[in-house]
Amino acid sequence: MPHPAVRVEHVTKRFSGHTAVHDLTMEVQAGGIFGLLGPNGAGKSTTIRMIMDIIEPDEGKVVLFGATGSGRQLSERVGYLPEERGLYKKMKVLDHLIFLAETKGIRRADARKRATAWLDRLGISDWAQKKVEDLSKGMQQKVQFAGALLHDPELVILDEPFSGLDPINSQVMRDVVVDIAKSGRTVLFSTHIMEQAERMCDRIVIIARGKTVVDGTVADVKRDFGGRHVALSFTHDTEKAGRVLADRHLVAKVDDYGATAEVEMATGADPEDLLTRLVREGVGLKRFEVVEPSLQSIFIAKVGDAAIAPATGDEVGP
Amino acid sequence: MSKTFAVIRRELVERVRTKSFVISTMLVPVFMVIMAVVPALMMSGSSRSMRIGVVDGTSTGVGAKIEQTLNTQRLSEDSGATPRYIVTRVAASDRTDAVRDSLVKHTGLGKGGKAADALDGVLVVRDDVLHTGKLEYLGSNVGSFEAMGRLEGSLRQVITGTRFEADGIDPAVVARAMAPVSVSTTKVSDGEATGESGGASFIIAYLMGFILYFGVFMYGQQTMTSVVEEKTSRIMEVLASSLTPFQMLLGKVLGVGMTGLLQMGIWGGTVFLVTSQRARLAGLFGLSPDAIQSLPIPSMAPDLLVVFLVYFALGFLLYGALFAAIGSMCNTVQETQQYASAVMMLIVFGFFGVFAMINDPTGGLGVTMSFIPFFSPFVMPVRWSLAAVPPLELALSLGLMLIALMGTTWLAGRIYRTGILMYGKKPTWGEVWRWVRAG
Repeated sequence: MPHPAVRVEHVTKRFSGHTAVHDLTMEVQAGGIFGLLGPNGAGKSTTIRMIMDIIEPDEGKVVLFGATGSGRQLSERVGYLPEERGLYKKMKVLDHLIFLAETKGIRRADARKRATAWLDRLGISDWAQKKVEDLSKGMQQKVQFAGALLHDPELVILDEPFSGLDPINSQVMRDVVVDIAKSGRTVLFSTHIMEQAERMCDRIVIIARGKTVVDGTVADVKRDFGGRHVALSFTHDTEKAGRVLADRHLVAKVDDYGATAEVEMATGADPEDLLTRLVREGVGLKRFEVVEPSLQSIFIAKVGDAAIAPATGDEVGP
Repeated sequence: MSKTFAVIRRELVERVRTKSFVISTMLVPVFMVIMAVVPALMMSGSSRSMRIGVVDGTSTGVGAKIEQTLNTQRLSEDSGATPRYIVTRVAASDRTDAVRDSLVKHTGLGKGGKAADALDGVLVVRDDVLHTGKLEYLGSNVGSFEAMGRLEGSLRQVITGTRFEADGIDPAVVARAMAPVSVSTTKVSDGEATGESGGASFIIAYLMGFILYFGVFMYGQQTMTSVVEEKTSRIMEVLASSLTPFQMLLGKVLGVGMTGLLQMGIWGGTVFLVTSQRARLAGLFGLSPDAIQSLPIPSMAPDLLVVFLVYFALGFLLYGALFAAIGSMCNTVQETQQYASAVMMLIVFGFFGVFAMINDPTGGLGVTMSFIPFFSPFVMPVRWSLAAVPPLELALSLGLMLIALMGTTWLAGRIYRTGILMYGKKPTWGEVWRWVRAG
């Protein structure tokens, strides 16, 4: 049995009065994509900073690769993209990447080669001799992303990697992340956008208010959550649908997104009855599908509506 | 180690590449050459005779004596040289003021172009001059200290001599008594004459005091600002995931320090070159070597250059570490001011020590300050330039400096460690103390 890439054991971190992370235990197996999910302020970034040994836990410990060294001593094997992006504004892009590689212990000549290759791969090689401050925010993020991956780390930790990116750039980075996982390395990324996690992650942990709420593979989490779910899309007469969905004998719970909704059937109710009722009311239906619960609805059920951020798509920043 | 080296290289290269560094580094040597050459050029302009009209209102013949004395003066030592003064004496015993006014019209004071034979000035001698000792000079060149000093010297000699003679003293005795006296000053170091004149060591002492003060101040501030910038740009977190706080602190301070040392080296080297190559420099600007040699250009002996650079380096490291620690405590440059003022006070005290040292190079205050680590970077190089410093005392001063440097770096490292990841409100002194003691 190989060592897990990351093991967080009963970790607690307090900041002047409030507890950011409370007795958190989680394990990230080597290989694959691991999602650390949670609403804003759940303690995701604090957990990641403790994994990176930037801050120390008050209680408990973090073990990387089953080794004894701290995150910083093992930093040659870890790539890190912090939530708050930061680069030296006045430096040239290529010089900056070389410097970041050097801080990971890579020799200068090698660093230059790698940096050039990454700039090519991310499609920003024309900007290599430009100053960082001349780049758009999205491009700066790509540079920083490259900086975290230059040294081919076996564990890549990305804190909200896709926030602030347009769909095209977001896709470029998603491809890179998937490639890393395919090559047998480990990616741990945090997000509060469930669709993203659902599509990419093999395993997830959902934390809220500093505690673990859900832990497991995406498939297990969905099966354990149980219930029969129906995904709906409407074309017209949406308000009529509201009356049908309000019937608690038929529907236990509704996540209403306006033009679409995901409902959990009440115990003993039949999805076919729901379809009949909706058609009889004259609701315009584009989609009616019995589905597994989405991570989004699991998340809302477990964390509570109050804690959730507006999830309108991939590009919502913190 | 190679990681720290990467940080040092980044700091040095990025700083040296900035426009402000290039400009300030170039400007000082240019300024220095100008300072050396321009006064010499101006002095060479004064190598022409000065035309003086003497309005003689005396009946005792003092006016004639003045004319006679001035006429004997030459621009240089040999007797065949150009006369220093061309004197036109106008006897005007009863209408002194009227003659004076009409002569003034012929000086450069009047409007319109100046004729070739125009007077540079008008000297008015009145009958009561022996009694009051007062003469009047109106001229276009009264601002020239050198010309006026020389003229006044000659006149004093005539008046004093005439007074003696009026009291019946033998003119030969008077002439012997009035023979000029001058003191030439040469600095002695380690029992050997260095060949530097007193004036030159004075200027170099001042110059060094200022450069050390400015250098430590400027580069210290730069260190602090760049730490704050790393915090606000959030690059700190990326760095903190790969580098230890101590590597970051060391790299930052050494990198900025080496930039400063490079600049100081270029400046110091320029002074050294300007002084050792002054003859060639004079030739370049068409000046006689004598003209430039006669100026008190600060000369920088190689040993002084070394002491200067060593103390600048150590002084900067000492203050740089403190400034970096302050930067790590704050989120904006404005916030740093409160804490930085304490450190700046130390620098200013050190700078005052330079003046104490210049006033009395062997006095107790200056000598004591040349041993105290926070002041010695400013005071010791100045002391070295002004007086002979026993090697043992230099070693003691350097030793104390190194001990203080280790203590400060340790302290700064502890503050830095916690400070760099602290955002939000600025800490109180009590909190800072807790950071130092923690872990």
